[in-house]
Amino acid sequence: MGTSRKDGGGTNRMIERKERKPYWRHTKWQMLASLAPFFAVIIILPLYADRLNSNKFLGFPLGYFLAAHGLVLIAVVTVASFVRQQDAIDHWHGAHEDN
Amino acid sequence: MAILSPSRAVNPRLGSYFGIFLSGFAAIALTSLILQGLGVDLSILSLAMLLGPIALYAGIGIATHASDPLDFFAAGRRVPAFFNGLLLAMSAFGATGLVALTGLFFLIGYDALFVGIGALGGFVVMAVLLAPFLRKFGAFTIPSYLGRRFDSRPLRLATALVAAIPIVMVLSAELRFAAEAAIVLTGWSHGQAFLVLYLVLLVTLVPGGMRSMTWTGVAQSLAAFFAVMVPVIIVAAIVTTMPVPQLTHGPVLRAVGRNEAIQGLPIILPPGMAFDLPGPELQPIMKRFADPFGALGPAAFVLGTLSMIAGVASAPWLLPRLAAAPGVYEARKTLGWATFIFGVAMLTAASIAVFMRDFLMDLIVTPGPAVVPPWLAELAKRGFASITETGTQFTASSISFARDSVLLSLPVAAQLPPMLLDLSLAAVIAGALVAAGAASTALGHILSEDILFGGTWETPHGPVRIHAGRGGIAVAAAAGVLAAAFVMTDPLRVVLCALSICGSALFPVLVLSIWWKRMNAFGAMAGLLTGFLVALLTIAGGQGESAAIPSALAAIIGIPSAVAAIFAVSLATPPPSRHVLQIVRDIRVPGGEILYDREMRTQRLKKLRQLS
Repeated sequence: MGTSRKDGGGTNRMIERKERKPYWRHTKWQMLASLAPFFAVIIILPLYADRLNSNKFLGFPLGYFLAAHGLVLIAVVTVASFVRQQDAIDHWHGAHEDN
Repeated sequence: MAILSPSRAVNPRLGSYFGIFLSGFAAIALTSLILQGLGVDLSILSLAMLLGPIALYAGIGIATHASDPLDFFAAGRRVPAFFNGLLLAMSAFGATGLVALTGLFFLIGYDALFVGIGALGGFVVMAVLLAPFLRKFGAFTIPSYLGRRFDSRPLRLATALVAAIPIVMVLSAELRFAAEAAIVLTGWSHGQAFLVLYLVLLVTLVPGGMRSMTWTGVAQSLAAFFAVMVPVIIVAAIVTTMPVPQLTHGPVLRAVGRNEAIQGLPIILPPGMAFDLPGPELQPIMKRFADPFGALGPAAFVLGTLSMIAGVASAPWLLPRLAAAPGVYEARKTLGWATFIFGVAMLTAASIAVFMRDFLMDLIVTPGPAVVPPWLAELAKRGFASITETGTQFTASSISFARDSVLLSLPVAAQLPPMLLDLSLAAVIAGALVAAGAASTALGHILSEDILFGGTWETPHGPVRIHAGRGGIAVAAAAGVLAAAFVMTDPLRVVLCALSICGSALFPVLVLSIWWKRMNAFGAMAGLLTGFLVALLTIAGGQGESAAIPSALAAIIGIPSAVAAIFAVSLATPPPSRHVLQIVRDIRVPGGEILYDREMRTQRLKKLRQLS
């Protein structure tokens, strides 16, 4: 996963001391970027299911479909994008595991 | 001393092994179907459907015995993300999900989603806030993590005692579901069923601790998935011509909705905090399926979701799974798989409920005098349903269903061969064994590591540690069986309360232990105890019918009070030492040596130096 800024060759390389602060700041923003939209959706969406239910999608009442299938999809996408983004952050700051 | 790479080799033949297991399981089911056609006695086949899979699990359990601490307590840290995620999802879903969630969907429709959404959210929160860091730390139990993270033995002991309570609650609930299923299969007494389940837990967990639990658990999860899917896929193929029930129950649901409207099922507008969760007793359906909010009010739905999120994210019987991931990256990926698999399981439960409601509504709207069809008579004979009044025409309130039998009612209502009912029961037992296995192992490790050897940081050397671990698991499973045999509360309520306790007592402490550097051992202790006591008081006060906060939502008061206690006490006491701060800094970075292993290594070196 390519965007490594410094590529140490050692087997037990640790993150550089001065990289720790920027790494953690970056990680915190990623945490907010993953959780804030997710929480907004899972709190707000189920409350409006009633109004959406008059529409249909794949034969489902739309409100029920979004609250069941939709939220599963959103949860999976949230975790998958978090895994990708956070891995990129780890590599960018040289904080990734050695393998 | 050579430093092991933090990422460890994964067995490349896992896929084949579990392919073989699944073929064996399918062979048992198909042989049973053939023998049934040949006229073999049904009770023998049911017994085979119980004992056959158990023999397979036992074989795996014994084959995965372990004598190395890393194998015994963390499955060697080489469980790939998919298998780890499968286990995590199924130990959270368990028999509670299979049996009680399906029943909830059937009885209250949309409102049951709060359980599923909450658990999915719990996995997302676990992935982002906890999983990578706990994996980097690498402790085998949650009390070990908190104790070493804050360098405080009292905290370790207190966490062990607090965490043991929800684990026993969950364990007892799962064993109750398993025992009920075993009784339906065989006609045994409760005592016999609990004894057999205890022996199964022993033989599948004691030989290899976490290692045995992992691989028998994967087998049980696959079996549960397969066995619960087959009947509903057959029903879906009959009703909708498409074998993907999760995605195609839409038109059926609309037909159900139309029939509910014809039947005049009420649209209930409940107060915001209404929390009227159906119990296990026989009862008619309460509300229209797809209409939100009737049994639960909107506020209770949202708060219930949040409470589930906190509980699942910090469940001490789920988090030790992360220590078994091969690396931090794999630990994050584990949660991705867990979310996906839990989502599929939840949608399957919903589709089973919709098909079952379709059978019911079809019967009710059929005009003319009420004729009890053979499948309903069969359900009533088995005690899965009851017909309360037989007037000229069936109504929604004249047929009652037992919440925990809806999953089992589907193959009967669709008039499938009796073998498929046995298969559903085998699914319930397998699902219960996964969750019960995870809970027993977690509690057993806590008992041996944090309570028996909790007085000192030095872990005992040699086989003593493994023997203590085995004893711990045996004691933990016995505690679960005893609790299951003597506590008669609704198991679903027990699980929700257990999650509330975890959410209040552990969630704030665990999250802040990573995300707030200034927190110290006093703050952690205060947060743990405050959250725990507030949750207990709220649960005790929420038992009544008109309580302001239902017991299952105790976390919504517990979490804020725990957070307040952590901040107040941490800021009023001296900041953490440099050593502790260094631990936090290292937890936050995925690269580098696993902290727990580093500590073990320094301990070993110290011992060697003393000897020489």
